[in-house]
Amino acid sequence: MPIKPLYDMQLGERIVTLMAALVLVLQIAMVAQRWIVAHIRIFAAQSFFLAAIAATIAWYNHAPHIYVVAALTLIVKVMLVPILFERLVKRVEIQEEIAPIINVPISVVIAGGLTLVGYVVAESFYRPEEPGLGHNALAVAISLFLIGFFTMINRRKALTQVLALLSLENGLFLAAISLTYGMPLIVELGVFFDVLVAAMVLGILVFRIRESFDSMDVSRLRRLRG
Amino acid sequence: MIGALFLGGIAVWLAGAAACLALWREPALARRVGCAAALAGAALEGAGSAAAIFGGGAATIGLPFGNPLFTCAVRLDPLSAFFNLTLAVLAAAVSVYSFGYLRHMEGRRNLGAFGFFFNLLLASLTLVFTAANAFFFLVAWESMALASFCLIGFEHEKARARRAGVLFLIMSHAGTGLLLIAFLLLTSASGSTDFASFHLLASRMAPLEQGAIFLLFLFGFGVKAGLVPVHIWLPEAHAASPSNVSALMSGIVIKTGIYGMARVFFDFYGPPPLWMGTTVLALGVASALLGVLYALMEHDLKRLLAYHSIENIGIILMGFGAALLFRSLGQTNLAALALIAGLYHTFNHATFKGLLFLGAGSVVEATGTRNMERMGGLIRRMPVTAVCFLVGAVAISGLPPLNGFVSEWLTYQALLAGFGTTSSMTRLVFPIAGSLLALTAALAAACFVKAFAIPFLALPRSEEAAEAREAPAEMRAGMGMLAVGCVVLGLGAAWFVRVFDSITEQTLGIRSSAALVTARGFALSPGTPHGGTISPFGIALLFLIAGVAFAWPLALRWKRRSVRGPAWDCGLPGLTADNEYTATAFSKPLRMIFSALYRPRREIQAEYEVSPYYPSAIRFESEIEPAFEKRIYAPLRERILAGANRMRAIQAGSIHAYLAYIFIALVLLLLFGVRE
Repeated sequence: MPIKPLYDMQLGERIVTLMAALVLVLQIAMVAQRWIVAHIRIFAAQSFFLAAIAATIAWYNHAPHIYVVAALTLIVKVMLVPILFERLVKRVEIQEEIAPIINVPISVVIAGGLTLVGYVVAESFYRPEEPGLGHNALAVAISLFLIGFFTMINRRKALTQVLALLSLENGLFLAAISLTYGMPLIVELGVFFDVLVAAMVLGILVFRIRESFDSMDVSRLRRLRG
Repeated sequence: MIGALFLGGIAVWLAGAAACLALWREPALARRVGCAAALAGAALEGAGSAAAIFGGGAATIGLPFGNPLFTCAVRLDPLSAFFNLTLAVLAAAVSVYSFGYLRHMEGRRNLGAFGFFFNLLLASLTLVFTAANAFFFLVAWESMALASFCLIGFEHEKARARRAGVLFLIMSHAGTGLLLIAFLLLTSASGSTDFASFHLLASRMAPLEQGAIFLLFLFGFGVKAGLVPVHIWLPEAHAASPSNVSALMSGIVIKTGIYGMARVFFDFYGPPPLWMGTTVLALGVASALLGVLYALMEHDLKRLLAYHSIENIGIILMGFGAALLFRSLGQTNLAALALIAGLYHTFNHATFKGLLFLGAGSVVEATGTRNMERMGGLIRRMPVTAVCFLVGAVAISGLPPLNGFVSEWLTYQALLAGFGTTSSMTRLVFPIAGSLLALTAALAAACFVKAFAIPFLALPRSEEAAEAREAPAEMRAGMGMLAVGCVVLGLGAAWFVRVFDSITEQTLGIRSSAALVTARGFALSPGTPHGGTISPFGIALLFLIAGVAFAWPLALRWKRRSVRGPAWDCGLPGLTADNEYTATAFSKPLRMIFSALYRPRREIQAEYEVSPYYPSAIRFESEIEPAFEKRIYAPLRERILAGANRMRAIQAGSIHAYLAYIFIALVLLLLFGVRE
């Protein structure tokens, strides 16, 4: 019996795994990145692969509503948010070099360790008797989440923290889509709306912090302490 | 039918609350609407509860909201219905009283807000008594606490009222924390939050867990009930709140703690180990004795009454403790007797303490002070209030033939019957408890001699007292309702005990009122081998006959040749209020006897001009040491504040630090979760 290559689940899983690995590599690249604009573009690339994963899953599971999710990811995270942020960087004329709290080599080592944690945690959810897409994807998703969180701690500027938060959210997105093959569309729409609102609110917040403290360094918020 | 009455009552209260909030700009209207709604709701609830008690069976009513995990069901089983009936009776009298009491606040205070919280409190109280699952119970419990907090702090411009409210809120939350843990333990054992699934559940658990749950419930509910040593909020809160709220707080809000204990001890537990009953009995004795001892030293009329609430909670818990002990020993008849004594005293305390607080409210309103030393002679100016207060005082002192006597007598009978038990420990415990109850009752009587005589008799001690006016008709009507209640519950005790049949059947499996009633319904007997028999009705009849027999000839003679003259004044130039016996002086002997507890401090300074025999001015100061506040709560507060100060170190004010805390906690929890 000839296998229809286009609906071969194994092929689908390999594609998803490959792209998930790329997403993870980009996440670690973000940890190592020293320039804000490059940081934003890496985020856009990561989001693009995420959209591709969503589309692949939609194709192999015959779930047309996930195409909508993929398209929304493409519009919001690959285009809208990066464009918004690049304009913000130009307008506030901030120093374009990122000064992380922990230096880059150690940060990358920590990111590697967190990837390990991600795989250990995902292992406990693995059910060999339930075949399907996404065992690796879950491990990658947890790693993305943890590394994104770590990057948030590791950044001084509010803008870079927002970027880290968004890549953390990408991890959640990957987990949701690889475990459930797409949540109900209404939930996804809500999540996208949240991302957009968060990006805008945080963009405004960045302005305000800069106005009040003459810097975007959130460490200076310490002065607010009573 | 029962369901319709019950839901109707709640609906009326909630509608009243909403209407008051809408009418906050119209104080006169808000007052009328708020009180009328409270009264109408109480009438409906009273009718529904009475029907449920005499109907016997438990009516389960689903409320039209909630979700499958947290259903909002209420169940009117006999125990719930009994407490709900108590609430309805007291709420009706307090609502009538409030028509008049709130009138002087019109224009000065926000009566819309008062009506809102008042009706909300009543609605949440009824839900506390009837909630049929743990989650809904806690929701009702907390809304009751919040409504109480807002009412305690209603006169919020006074620092003491604010402080009392905050103290109440802190203690109440700590208690709720204990309850939450206990309910979660039960829920995890039964797999459901429904109270029906907890029935006898606790007794099937491991002894250690069983004991822990028991103590959590005892102190969790004890905070609300005013159990010593977690009682310190009670005198502050009852004194600081408006008097109609004090009546409700003391009459019914603290009874929610009693209801919770009754529910846990007699529904969730089967026959308990002996130590549980002993603990409850011992705490009951401690509360009763310490409550009355502190009350004796109090000259603030409302604080005095508040300490008596602690005393009466102690008496109720002595009944409960005895019931638990008898249950452990397998003597169900005696357990039923002790339980009836405790529950009867609960109802009685709601009537006479409500009455006393309403009376105190009238007096405080008329004189503008809570200090007894500045009152006096009020019986001439406020005769109705004085008579009502006297009825309450006689009832709370446990004198026949009023209701306090009947329930205290039943408690004695239960404790004395315990002397006949087989276990050597209980043979010792019961007589000790009984004798301390006797001491408590005697001290309470002494205290109410003071509480009645100093404000109402002799000459006015201040100008305000001399110009006091009788309370308006609505206030007198509210007090009158409860005074009649005290008399009826006393004289009609033999008929009233039938109410408890369905409760003892539900909790202990027997109906025992037939054994308690003798002499064709005119007398009570405990149904034990060496028990006594009393007939409040007969005692009242005797009083009447004796009174007429002695008073009649006297009255005849007095009419014929009575000569009025001045009181003998030891040759001094005229008697004034300064020559009167004061409350401080009255309680001095007891202050000396119990000085080990009070640790009184007094200071006398006299100024002399010519000779030490003729001081020109004397300053006298006397105070007693607040033992619990000083020895338990002050060190505790210091510790907590010191701990909080040390914890400031982790509040670095840095976003990165906070994120790192969350991150580390998350990674550790993930790894911990994977470990298994």
